[in-house]
Amino acid sequence: MVTAPTLLELQRGFADAMLDRGGDLAQWVVGAALTPAARLQVYSNAIASTQIETLCATYPAVRALVGEAFFEAAAMRYRLHHPSARGNLQTFGGAFAAFLATMPEAAALAYLPDVAQLEWLRQQSALAAEASPLAPATLDDTLSLPVRLHPSLHLLTSAHPVLTIWRYATAPEGARLQLDGRGEQVALWRDGNEVAMAALDAASFTCIATLIDTRDLETAHVAALAIDATFDLAVCLRSLLTHQLIVTG
Amino acid sequence: MMHDARTLAARPISAPSGVGIGLRAPHLQRVLSERPRVAWFEVHSENLFADGGALHAAIEHVRADYPLSLHGVGLSLGSADTFDDEHLATLCALVQRFEPGLVSDHICWGAIGGIHLNDLLPLPFTREALDLMVTRVQQVQDALGREFLVENVSSYLTFQHAEMSEWEFVAELIRRSGCGLLLDVNNVYVNSVNHGFDAHAYLRAMPRAAVREIHLAGFTRKTDLAAPLLIDSHSRPVDAEVWALYAEALDLVGPVPTLIEWDQDIPELEVLLAEADRAEALLNGHRTHTA
Repeated sequence: MVTAPTLLELQRGFADAMLDRGGDLAQWVVGAALTPAARLQVYSNAIASTQIETLCATYPAVRALVGEAFFEAAAMRYRLHHPSARGNLQTFGGAFAAFLATMPEAAALAYLPDVAQLEWLRQQSALAAEASPLAPATLDDTLSLPVRLHPSLHLLTSAHPVLTIWRYATAPEGARLQLDGRGEQVALWRDGNEVAMAALDAASFTCIATLIDTRDLETAHVAALAIDATFDLAVCLRSLLTHQLIVTG
Repeated sequence: MMHDARTLAARPISAPSGVGIGLRAPHLQRVLSERPRVAWFEVHSENLFADGGALHAAIEHVRADYPLSLHGVGLSLGSADTFDDEHLATLCALVQRFEPGLVSDHICWGAIGGIHLNDLLPLPFTREALDLMVTRVQQVQDALGREFLVENVSSYLTFQHAEMSEWEFVAELIRRSGCGLLLDVNNVYVNSVNHGFDAHAYLRAMPRAAVREIHLAGFTRKTDLAAPLLIDSHSRPVDAEVWALYAEALDLVGPVPTLIEWDQDIPELEVLLAEADRAEALLNGHRTHTA
């Protein structure tokens, strides 16, 4: 007679069965009217479906670009290679861009990982903490202090026109895509309940990226001027203020 | 939307009573603008695990007018290897911030070896699993510093080496851990069909005084299998059989707060409110009856 499994053995066996890793869990499942395999299948379908739906919700443009069948196959493979590591699902899918970059079947779409990364950052912006915007009038008094940008502000630099492609992929039917082959540097932030995105010039992008890293205005200014000697810091700061992206604290 | 420390600090924790519904993304704007006539709202704790976002912003407003329940789906109380302290810490912080009247999770497991399956998975009804659940529930109650509720789950399989029935396992867990019971009447019905037991006997075996909340939901019937199987899909109106079982549960435990759950194919708000009205009528009938 085989000894009954401990709870740990049973749960390891269950997880193996759910992640297509084989095992002999079925012998411990009561069959009755349905086979153990059919009962386990109900769970594996539900688990896959929850995780794939999570990826669908996070990556709508990737899904539109590759089609439903390809996306589902990629998502299925992803969840087996990068199993969920948390009891909440907001962090599931963070490695999808890198995973797509390793998929031979997706190699022809060189821009795809960057589109995925843009969508991941959209989610980070949507779920970022709140912060109080700085009143424009107080800007002059605070410029010597460390500059804190809104936690929802994220940046992405791509060798591909990633924002143009994202807009094409998520636009209503009929939109036409015209690409000039140049890359885009994108800023994303939360605006109300939406995520706003804009393509930036290289100097503004560098200025904001440096501000995020160092919070030091002078350092950011110098870095931006190194890209473009005509860079106007006042214009960049006014734009950040107008969008409520400079915050207190 | 900003956090107003003054109004939050002044507001007492209010406990749900009557019939509540889940606060879900498709209804957020209408709930905020129309303030529908519903007794309380339930939110899945894990949907608030990010630092911010639309749901956080909405709840800051909703909680000013309605009692809240934080209902977890990811604590994985029954994991044999480790307990996710970080998950529990995040839950504790949410409870402090939003001051829900009820806090709950499930009698199940969902993670092993660091891998989360993000589902409510069945425990074997063994003494080993029971001991573990008792320890974990006490740990959560200690961390929260308040009463915690655990819910009976739907299941699609049972294990050969079970040492007791599901209702014995649930009743013993509640008795030994001292937590409250969130009695999901739909899950009792679904399991009674899926595993062939008497749902009435299950209800009668529950520790009546410990029932703090009841859940009602709709199931779907799987028709492509060799035998009937009900799936706890939360995608349909409450079934007639479950309404009958709910009335029976109210007879046993009295008018405890009740939630209408609907998480897939979410209908218009009116449909949910109509289901809540139907439950409220049964609950009120019972209040009058017992008064």
